[in-house]
Amino acid sequence: MINLILVSHSEKLATGLKELLAEMAPDTPILLAAGLADGSIGTDASRIEETMNELNDDGLILTDIGSATMNAELALELYSGDRNVQFVEAPLVEGAFLAAVLSGQSKSLDDIVTGIKAEFS
Amino acid sequence: MKLSTEEFRKALLKAAAELEQHKDELTDLDREIGDGDHGINMSRGFQAVQKELEAQEEYEDLGALSKQVGMTLIKTVGGASGPLYGTAFVKFAGAFKGKTEVEGQELAAAFKEATDGIKMRGKSEFGQKTMVDIWTPFYEALEQESDLNATLDQALADTKERVATKGRASYFGDATVGVQDPGALSSSLLLRSIVEVLS
Repeated sequence: MINLILVSHSEKLATGLKELLAEMAPDTPILLAAGLADGSIGTDASRIEETMNELNDDGLILTDIGSATMNAELALELYSGDRNVQFVEAPLVEGAFLAAVLSGQSKSLDDIVTGIKAEFS
Repeated sequence: MKLSTEEFRKALLKAAAELEQHKDELTDLDREIGDGDHGINMSRGFQAVQKELEAQEEYEDLGALSKQVGMTLIKTVGGASGPLYGTAFVKFAGAFKGKTEVEGQELAAAFKEATDGIKMRGKSEFGQKTMVDIWTPFYEALEQESDLNATLDQALADTKERVATKGRASYFGDATVGVQDPGALSSSLLLRSIVEVLS
């Protein structure tokens, strides 16, 4: 089942979103790379990369604003693991909802990315 | 214009000191048109760089030095500046690989690659009131062998008067005119420190 990685400046925002997603798609694995190591606001490429190393299947990254996307793209370049991980540009909350539901239906990563692109771009 | 490994190391130590000295100014500017953390982020990153450079006096070549600095900045700066400055140094690492000295058009080309890296990472172009507005005229001045410090002065003055159309500052729209972009200022501090060691 495709894992979701939520990249947000705010740990609270990501934790809250994970709770919301669990209502719609309780089985979809949701990983968080949110906030900085000390709990303050921000995003960090090395934290995102570490989260990518926890994937138990292929993964999809969704981000909130500006530098979250930059750090996610950088983390993808740094990642040396063997999972297929993709980033898709979409509004974080709506995009994560759609991705979580599609993953819960056992869709492939490519199908999920296509679905999100069709919905939001 | 020539840059050697030892001189680049010195320039980066100087840059760390300059950024530390301007920490509050960078943060105040960022508070006006951003999220108010630029000085703190740059200070944290370059203090980490300083520590590493002080612990290791000799580097194999310019590439190894640049790579270490880039990875440190990526890990420690955070915010938008971490990936942007980190990418610039990772691009330097590629351009400087295996070289202990670089000069002339080869040096200009390395700064162009770093600038292209910043533009790619930030999906930005010249004229959007960002650090790109400093890096672009800087590498062009290296190509044309014109006065580098005068170029930086002019670039800063021009950037200050622009409207921000990229990044968080763009949400402030016209209110950004007349306020210096913090990333432009920190870039000028870094590049001036490098100018000082070019011989």
